[in-house]
Amino acid sequence: MNPDVKMHTKLDAKVPAGSLAEKWDRHRFNLKLVNPANKKKFEIIVVGTGLAGASAAATFAELGYHVKNFCIQDSPRRAHSIAAQGGINAAKNYSNDGDSVWRLFYDTIKGGDFRAREANVYRLAQLSCNIIDHCVAQGIPFARDYGGFLDNRSFGGAQVSRTFYAKGQTGQQLLLGAYSSLMRQVSTGMVKLFPRREMMDLVVVDGKARGIVVRNLITGELETYTAHAVVLATGGYGNVFNLSTNAMASNVTAAFRAYKKGAYFANPCYTQIHPTCIPVHGTFQSKLTLMSESLRNDGRVWVPKKPRDKRRPGDIPESERDYYLENKYPSFGNLVPRDVASRNAKEQCDLEKGVGETGLAVYLDFADAIKRDGENAIAGKYGNLFQMYEKITGDNPYKTPMMIYPAVHYTMGGLWVDYNLMSTIPGLFVLGEANFSDHGANRLGASALMQGLADGYFVIPYTIGGYLAQTSFSEINVPDSKEFKQGIQNVQQRIDKLLSVNGRRTVTEFHRELGLILWEYCGMSRNEEGLLKAREMVSNLRHEFWKDVYVPGTGKDLNQSLEKAGRVADFLEFGELMILDALARKESCGCHFNTAFQTEENEARRDDQNFCHVACWEYNGDDQVPNFHKESLTFENVELSQRSYK
Amino acid sequence: MNWFLNMLRTSIGKKLLMALTGLFFSIFLVIHLLGNLTLYGGKDLFLSYVDHLHALGPLIHVAEIGLLTFAAIHVSTGLFLFLQNLQARPIRYTVDKRGGGRTIGSATMPYTGVLIIIFVAIHLSNFHFIDHSRQTVFQAIDATFHMVPYIFFYIAAVIIVAIHVSHGFWSLFQTLGANHPKYMPAIKGIGFIFSLLVAVGFGFIPVYVSFIM
Amino acid sequence: MISKTINLTLKVWRQNRGEKKGRLETYSAKNISVDMSFLEMLDVVNEELTKNKKETIAFDHDCREGICGMCGAVVNGRPHGHEKETTLCQLHMRHFSDGDIIVIEPWRARAFPLIKDLVVDRSALDNIIQAGGFISVNAGGAPDANALPISKEIAEAAFNAAACIGCGACVAACPNASAMLFVSAKVSQFALLPQGRPEAARRARTMVRMMDQCGFGNCSNETECEAECPKGISISNIARLNREFLKAEFS
Repeated sequence: MNPDVKMHTKLDAKVPAGSLAEKWDRHRFNLKLVNPANKKKFEIIVVGTGLAGASAAATFAELGYHVKNFCIQDSPRRAHSIAAQGGINAAKNYSNDGDSVWRLFYDTIKGGDFRAREANVYRLAQLSCNIIDHCVAQGIPFARDYGGFLDNRSFGGAQVSRTFYAKGQTGQQLLLGAYSSLMRQVSTGMVKLFPRREMMDLVVVDGKARGIVVRNLITGELETYTAHAVVLATGGYGNVFNLSTNAMASNVTAAFRAYKKGAYFANPCYTQIHPTCIPVHGTFQSKLTLMSESLRNDGRVWVPKKPRDKRRPGDIPESERDYYLENKYPSFGNLVPRDVASRNAKEQCDLEKGVGETGLAVYLDFADAIKRDGENAIAGKYGNLFQMYEKITGDNPYKTPMMIYPAVHYTMGGLWVDYNLMSTIPGLFVLGEANFSDHGANRLGASALMQGLADGYFVIPYTIGGYLAQTSFSEINVPDSKEFKQGIQNVQQRIDKLLSVNGRRTVTEFHRELGLILWEYCGMSRNEEGLLKAREMVSNLRHEFWKDVYVPGTGKDLNQSLEKAGRVADFLEFGELMILDALARKESCGCHFNTAFQTEENEARRDDQNFCHVACWEYNGDDQVPNFHKESLTFENVELSQRSYK
Repeated sequence: MNWFLNMLRTSIGKKLLMALTGLFFSIFLVIHLLGNLTLYGGKDLFLSYVDHLHALGPLIHVAEIGLLTFAAIHVSTGLFLFLQNLQARPIRYTVDKRGGGRTIGSATMPYTGVLIIIFVAIHLSNFHFIDHSRQTVFQAIDATFHMVPYIFFYIAAVIIVAIHVSHGFWSLFQTLGANHPKYMPAIKGIGFIFSLLVAVGFGFIPVYVSFIM
Repeated sequence: MISKTINLTLKVWRQNRGEKKGRLETYSAKNISVDMSFLEMLDVVNEELTKNKKETIAFDHDCREGICGMCGAVVNGRPHGHEKETTLCQLHMRHFSDGDIIVIEPWRARAFPLIKDLVVDRSALDNIIQAGGFISVNAGGAPDANALPISKEIAEAAFNAAACIGCGACVAACPNASAMLFVSAKVSQFALLPQGRPEAARRARTMVRMMDQCGFGNCSNETECEAECPKGISISNIARLNREFLKAEFS
């Protein structure tokens, strides 16, 4: 533990008693129910309209609650869940290949490198089947076989075929399903929609989350909304790295504001980096595009043996190519897990063996596969991916090797929640990527969609009832409420401050610099020295930001520069928290790879004795080191093992 | 009846009116063309066709009233849609290019429509509203088609009709919901041939009458 | 090996919030790498504006991988630019030449009121979905997913209709500013699937009426929508909508 971090209480996750398989059933029975006639008296705020937010908002309304649903885009249908490509897991065992709830549970726990909560993960595996049933009933056009039944594929190294998909647009179809359910509830009047609103603060009254302050992104007005519970489904914080596969507007602000109001932030250092993305082309790159990792089934990864070799790939003879994954991991070769593939790509580039204009790419070569199976067979498997690649890069991957590079893709950390998905602030619930709960230190492919929808359709609708039924609420009259007044005032001050710095540097420049620091020192491999250096660099950058940033325009208008400034300001603070968390976790696990803790095979070496816990951070004032809390993870049903890919 | 009027007030309802009346005019064009083809058989054949037509008596008036009514519906609905569509984009683009969907036919429907009305009026005044006791229809045709400017006017007019039909024909099937990947190419092909036949079939008549006969 | 760069002249529609009239303003975009996307090119122009302490050009965008449907502008008279089946964020600058003059305008339709610069209000599309673009099923009540076999062909046809990203390019492209392609895509998806049949008639009727109410123009089968749709949605869906609507009205 860092000397300046104070250690505090242990957190109680409120995991129900009983055997793993019975916990959820039993818990649902024990939860107090809200009388059907009383449901309409409760109002719930849902922030976010992605898979988790839209499904929760729609389901609350179906149950009879009144819902206020907020999103930053012009329509709920644009939330970034829409961009998920691969698929969604469910333990249906339609393929009859030995899948079961237990196997999905085990794979997810193991994939998370034993840093997730057993009870949550088991519940997720159980609910996976209900999700597919519901989505099909909603009219989601999943892929089917000639018999008319649902098709499954194997995904992300799973040994069973349990992934349901709709071409490469599964996220889009699932989100549009949730969106259509949400729109149905908007038409009944049970959901009131607030698009183009950004949550700027959480309002806590009598220790309970009772409302939010939002900025109307069109008029710039600050608006307040009250409710009996607040549900955050605001996604992950991958954009702290500036370049990621996240959408441009994805941000940490809502979660970070909640953190500042007392919600604990868990495991912020867990970020997943995806190995097969289209490389960066230049300084003004705005985002990275992911390509399915299925490409590695047939593509061979290589770099030139000689550093700074600027010859064209075709001119480099076989003997001067380094197929580093095949050489280093003879049995898994190009199919090593995401984190291993990513780390090795960066390592090669750090040795100046990277290719392409920027030197930040490695080749993924299909020449042998095309020679072996023919161009048609390869086109049949990857045609749409090759097309997408060509559209973006202008290169034809049938003729010249693809270039790939890792990119930040998903964040496993998030606001800490208990088994009921409630944060440490009573009445504040957190769903989907915004919470930390189910993926441990690493998320398996096709599990993010599953978690978002399980949280929204099938977990929160029950657990929020338990909270509402057991809590007494005071009446809130917004104009008189000092908490709401204070909320508005704080937000206004912050906006005024951003607009009044009037410095010389743009927000984008700060964001880019922050991203580079974190990518270098708090990315796919970390070490103490680098992290300490980065902590100082980020801190300095933050101070410089508040001294030298320039934000054009006014606060009372549609001002995209101001929106971005607010988000980057939060990323600057959040970046430090990430680094602090990475420093405190003196082990390697999943996506947190500290070079000081590795096996002889360069695998993450866990320290289950000292770090089998969730690290939670409590805000302790600006420029103060946050307090540390931990939730110990106990594994009663699985044996902790070390992975090996040699 | 309420539901019916209610339906006609919707955008698709109005399009249905356009399609059905358009279908009717397409059929009319076919019959008209078939009738006129008798001209190629000479004066006697043509006049016997005219006699047969007139022998239908009151039926011919029913058809005329029908045509007039449908024309009124087609024109007024079309005009209404045209104005509504103009309003749907109050500020136009500074630069407006096509993406490859529009055709000459589709882009000019309202304008070819207006030209066709004018043509039909002149056409009727030339051949229909004349004193049939003083000259036969054939004489009227023969006289008119020996005025060279009128030949050009007539040929231009039937080309305009053909352009109108080139979009109208397949479009009416689309509006009626008959678009199937298997059959649409055929419908479009028939529409193209039909408009070609209209242009050539009608357009060649004045040439034939004045130069060949 | 330095990638090729080009210089461009932009004429961008600028209009403040609440302003009655806008105007095209001219900007130069210098040293634009041909590997950039169109939106990244706009980012560069905005960075330059910021450095000169001027207000940036407002434009909607989010995922930048062609799926969220948030971006879109009319580029030289073509919605999302001239490349086929491409959203603006996926349009790359290698499709332009050095010295090009590019005119950038917002979607123009009465049903999409302008908010600022290139940003328009497309909530009419949400209103149409609210009118019936859903299957009325509550969470928890669904039968087993495989209880209802659906042929592969039908599932694929439904998927092709469901691929719509709701960007509004069809409206922007239509000479009449009609939203028929958008409406027909949703109606088709559910009309094709057995799960959607029970509500098919009601859905077609309510969605068409809402579309009319929102102030969109009428479809005159110009097929510009199909030509400009970034997801290649076919106008055969419009025929299906017509069919579904007429069937619903006459039965």
